[in-house]
Amino acid sequence: MEKLLELARKKSDKAEIYSVEYTSNQVSFENAKLQNIDSKFQSGVSLRIIKDGKLGFAYTRNLINRQELVQNAIDSLKGGVEAEYDFPLTKEIPKLDKYDSSLEGVSSAQMVEECARVCDILKSKTDGEIEMHSFVNIDKLRILNTQGTDISEKGTTYTMFGGATYPGSGAGIWRVFRSKKFEKMPADLVNTLIDLYKLSSKVVEPKGGKMKVLFMPNSMLTLLWRLFSGASSKSVYEKTSPIADKIGEKVFDEKLTIYDDPLNDKNPGARAFDDEGVACKPLTLVEKGVLKSFFYDLDYAKKLKAKSTGHGYRTTQWGGDPITLKPIPAVSHLTLKPGNKSFAELVKSMNKGVILEYALGAHSGNIPNGDYSVAVSPGVYVEKGEIVGRVKDGMVAGNIYETLKNVTDLSDTLYPCFTGEWMPLILCDNVSVATKK
Amino acid sequence: MFQKLREILNNVDADYADIRYEIKREGVISFSGKELTQVGSSSTDGYVIRALKDGGLASVVFTRESDAQKAVKTVLENAKLISKTVEKPVKLAQAEAVKETFIPPLKEDPREISMEEKLELVRKYNDIPLAHEKIATTSIKYEDVIREKYFLSSEGSEIREDLVTTRLSGEIISADGNLRQNLRVRRGGSSGFSTVRNQESYFEKRTGIVLDLLKARPVMGGVYNCILNPDLTGVFTHEAFGHYSEADLIENLPSMREKMKIGNKLGNDVLNIVDNATLPEQLGFYKYDDEGVKVRSTQLMKNGVLSGRLHSRRTAAEFGEPLSGHTVAEDYRYAPIIRMGTIFIEPGEHTFDDLVNMLGDGLYILDAKGGETSGESFSFGAQYAYEVKNGKVGKMVRDLNISGNLYQTLKDITAVGDDLVLSKVGGCGKWQTNIRSCSGGPHIIINSLVVGGA
Repeated sequence: MEKLLELARKKSDKAEIYSVEYTSNQVSFENAKLQNIDSKFQSGVSLRIIKDGKLGFAYTRNLINRQELVQNAIDSLKGGVEAEYDFPLTKEIPKLDKYDSSLEGVSSAQMVEECARVCDILKSKTDGEIEMHSFVNIDKLRILNTQGTDISEKGTTYTMFGGATYPGSGAGIWRVFRSKKFEKMPADLVNTLIDLYKLSSKVVEPKGGKMKVLFMPNSMLTLLWRLFSGASSKSVYEKTSPIADKIGEKVFDEKLTIYDDPLNDKNPGARAFDDEGVACKPLTLVEKGVLKSFFYDLDYAKKLKAKSTGHGYRTTQWGGDPITLKPIPAVSHLTLKPGNKSFAELVKSMNKGVILEYALGAHSGNIPNGDYSVAVSPGVYVEKGEIVGRVKDGMVAGNIYETLKNVTDLSDTLYPCFTGEWMPLILCDNVSVATKK
Repeated sequence: MFQKLREILNNVDADYADIRYEIKREGVISFSGKELTQVGSSSTDGYVIRALKDGGLASVVFTRESDAQKAVKTVLENAKLISKTVEKPVKLAQAEAVKETFIPPLKEDPREISMEEKLELVRKYNDIPLAHEKIATTSIKYEDVIREKYFLSSEGSEIREDLVTTRLSGEIISADGNLRQNLRVRRGGSSGFSTVRNQESYFEKRTGIVLDLLKARPVMGGVYNCILNPDLTGVFTHEAFGHYSEADLIENLPSMREKMKIGNKLGNDVLNIVDNATLPEQLGFYKYDDEGVKVRSTQLMKNGVLSGRLHSRRTAAEFGEPLSGHTVAEDYRYAPIIRMGTIFIEPGEHTFDDLVNMLGDGLYILDAKGGETSGESFSFGAQYAYEVKNGKVGKMVRDLNISGNLYQTLKDITAVGDDLVLSKVGGCGKWQTNIRSCSGGPHIIINSLVVGGA
């Protein structure tokens, strides 16, 4: 790596190397039976150079030919992508507890055994079709640049993701479990899944209209993608954010305090620095409903005469292969200040409404504008504080800048979303629900 | 290359094994508004090994040649672990061993066109919308993605195939006060750089539509009879029906398998659906899948009756149905899974004017904006629509999302147009992304769709 940096330094004004190594193991159960085991050992190197204010970019999996990688980056300078920013000098990074060496030794057999255990419970207690996936991920990241930064970190993530699907429907109740080490899926998580599945087995056909909607972890992307779009410095710069000029103004209900917390290493995936080597720190985006800040990477910070907030990540809306992607402003650890009601209390407080377990089509529609319109998959229907069944073929629609002004309550617990965030459940009122009736 | 792969494969002590090595070359140009945000080309490579041992099938991905031994050990251990656990040993349907090099003919190879020339073309398209005052920004990305694949199996297959994809994708965003509207642009294909040339009028037309959307009213949510344009027909066919023709998605869902039995009458009599990835020059075109099976045209539905399915060697054996050659990976980072190739509703006999007359009152909905499916439910966004009243196409409406139940909707397709358009850009996500996913069809009428408006 040092040789590559040296070579790049000779041909440019500034250079940065982003190098990753990751191993993963995935065990999949379908219909409560072992279906697949997929293992991956991958590595890669990505090079950014800046010369005369222009950006060069190239990447490779195998650093066999350093000259070729540097040449590819030099060739791309000709395109003339502007890069007025400097790479940071980051020496001090927070020490995070994000690596648990015990996960390295976890075998496929242990993962299979744990999946089988949970599948057996779900199979014996529900009539659902049971699917379960378990993942072990070990990631190493190192960033070097010509400013003198040379920082690295290593993390472990264990994920279990699965649930019970109502036969023939494709919809069901699924839960995510995440930890830095290999652990059994907690009994209360499994039990909640079973209870909710049983209570919602019956199909009901309520009349549509405006009602309460409880956004669950697995449907949270419906709100989050629109929020990410609105609070991104890229959208501000491009004038596509409807809240671009609303810093200091109330944009959401005062119950909402929204912040990014990359240093929280209680949960897996904490980050001491972003994908550009900028040290991470917590950032409040919205405090008691008032817009406080946008999030910035180096590029958009420079363009908007601000400072990077440590939010340059090599990602897209769908994730992606980091070495092939240029950093963009992104939040990876977004969360909300929790409320004070349990899930059961939130349900009790719903006179009439839908628990949106999973939303189909969270990625479609006019995201910059904040509009969403998703199919319930399923929508668990509540009447007078009791779950009475589930709605099929219904749609929940609105605009987050309206919906999040009508927040009734938040749960007292944060739950992992399958995209990596930890979020409270959000109960909103006056949301439009369309059904066939 | 094959010699090196053979040496690795020879160390895999299994009943069946295959290895795929790929070099993936990617060229990218992207604009955000006036600003050029990325230019460059790079290549990456890696290996995938699959091994079947005593009825257990496992896969491993690695990117360093030096990890080959570790990878072989891991895949064998995992295959053996599966074999000890599975009730029913995995079998692979018989496939012909093939030795062939297939490099598709291209109208202009993107590898031979300079970055400067590509950049100039993309900038020209990007400038078309930006010339208008009410266009807030654009996000336009040009990509060429070339997969140079080497496939070797323990049964003697040795296949070298290239997949060359060129694509122009992104969106145009218009704004008026606080109102923002976006419209996707999608051009490209599998047959070379020529697929992205001469698109000026396309960009002009798309700009006109996204400007019109600023003046359009949000649709009233409710249940409508609708005409879908070919793009939306394609997305419906892909999302709502196509995924359940993928045998791996229903293999372990007993209730879905029952519903999707060959011979079941699922759709209206007017409905014929085929997946034909052998159609040359279409986005979905390929010759061999990533298991080395030759792709064949597969009739999925005939006169509303389920007549075929998309298979891997594993599921073809499990279902006792013919191979279709639809097991495809995104690239060397993934083991292959079952994928649609070029899926479409076959054209019928009605002209567009006939369909509008038959509809009477309802919506004419155009162009997809993402879709998703889960079991019998589907949901997809649409870019825009026109109200249809008394058989006349009227005012534009916006903010459309459509959802429905697969089985009901297949019955509610009551008329099929005589045109056929196939998509130019793909991006289907199913754990991995398939940028060659191609879908289409004619204009069709679907009765009683739930349309969620704002």
